[in-house]
Amino acid sequence: MDYLRVIWTVARKDLLIEMRTRERIAAMGAFVVLVGVLFNYSIDTAIVRPQEIAPGIIWMTIILGGLLGIGRTFHLEEEDGAFSGVLQAPIPLDALYLGKTAANLVILCLVTVLIFLVFGVFFGLSFGSHPFVLLAVVFLALLGFVGLTTLFSAMSARTTMGESLLPVLVFPLLVPMVIFGVSATSRLFAGRPLSEVAGSVRMLGAFAILSVGAGAMLFRHVVEE
Amino acid sequence: MPRDRLQRTGVALAALGTLGAVLLLWMVFFWVPTERTLGIAQRIFYVHVPSAWIAFFAFGIVALCSGVYLWLRDERLDMAALAAAEGGMVFCTIMLLTGPLWARVSWGTWWTWEPRLVLTLLLWFVYFSYFLVRNATENPDQGKRFAAVVGIVGVLDIPLIHVSVTWMRSLHPQPVVLRSDGPALDPDMLITLMVGLATATTLFLGLFLMRYTVECLKREVDQRRTGAQAAQGA
Repeated sequence: MDYLRVIWTVARKDLLIEMRTRERIAAMGAFVVLVGVLFNYSIDTAIVRPQEIAPGIIWMTIILGGLLGIGRTFHLEEEDGAFSGVLQAPIPLDALYLGKTAANLVILCLVTVLIFLVFGVFFGLSFGSHPFVLLAVVFLALLGFVGLTTLFSAMSARTTMGESLLPVLVFPLLVPMVIFGVSATSRLFAGRPLSEVAGSVRMLGAFAILSVGAGAMLFRHVVEE
Repeated sequence: MPRDRLQRTGVALAALGTLGAVLLLWMVFFWVPTERTLGIAQRIFYVHVPSAWIAFFAFGIVALCSGVYLWLRDERLDMAALAAAEGGMVFCTIMLLTGPLWARVSWGTWWTWEPRLVLTLLLWFVYFSYFLVRNATENPDQGKRFAAVVGIVGVLDIPLIHVSVTWMRSLHPQPVVLRSDGPALDPDMLITLMVGLATATTLFLGLFLMRYTVECLKREVDQRRTGAQAAQGA
């Protein structure tokens, strides 16, 4: 039970800081709305129907907006030198990672809700008739994404290259998420039968387990002084 | 094994591999029969496939050594991972260069989203980030750990990437199939392929050992230099 309490404490601390500063969520929120505006002008709606390409655009916005915020997970603590203090705490480092990941997941879920709302309004999208399946698809993909980016943002924060390193590290590994996320979302948007989505959901589940599992296992080697 | 013996073995293997490469080129250009449907361009196969084998084999070594390095923190494992990664990246690059050349002739396009192609490109980028993180830290030990983490996450994710890009293809069937995988490859072709595989492996192992010993020497020089500086300072 103590383990879960550690995760909860770390996540709560990160979310509290975020609630008070609103630093990351404001940047991500503004970013995704503005990306929506720019995308609107990058599509010639007389030639392409937004409904058909929306899933791809939505997922790319999630990834880019997500990197913007999640990439700064450790920024504040590193700046203050507070992270050495966190590392001194007598807690398992994988619980620290899971707490950070959980906080990031909550933040990214909020931003994703905003993305769906804004894009839905901007492009007049229909999200299909299976909201819960869509929710499961988005949740699993976000979990996998956050698992990998939290691990690698801890790494990039400690390099001389900083955040510019993060996309190079993460993008090749995100291919499964993009393929299965976009495929499932496209099919749900198009109102296709659920059997066409089941495979993608399973693969996104595998991706999520793998990302979070690898992160929890390897995080200690990244943050060790 | 002492370092000079490793070095000698490396040089011997590299020399053997070079001889093998000459033999392979002779076989590819003068000996092996031309494939009926794919024509003369198919001969690139004997370089392409062995490079692919080494690119993935080397990455296996990188991941294995990285994993054990994080566990035991033995410098030799890190040096082995580094040496394998450099060799692997060379062969991965050869594969990425020969692939499009062949594709241009037999598929009529330089690039296609064929799963194996995409997988190799992504593998190349994982290798790339492996070197990038290694050199982007002020503390070299941290760089070694970061690189090891990249290697391990890479090897875990690669099967998933493979499944996903293969699955993607089933959605967009390609007009041309890479090769009819009939069980009966012409015996001469099979022999040439085997020579290619043996050559690439020998060459890789030679380069691996040579690179490993160079890295040993480099670290020894670094160590002595810091030792001398410390002595001067004191």
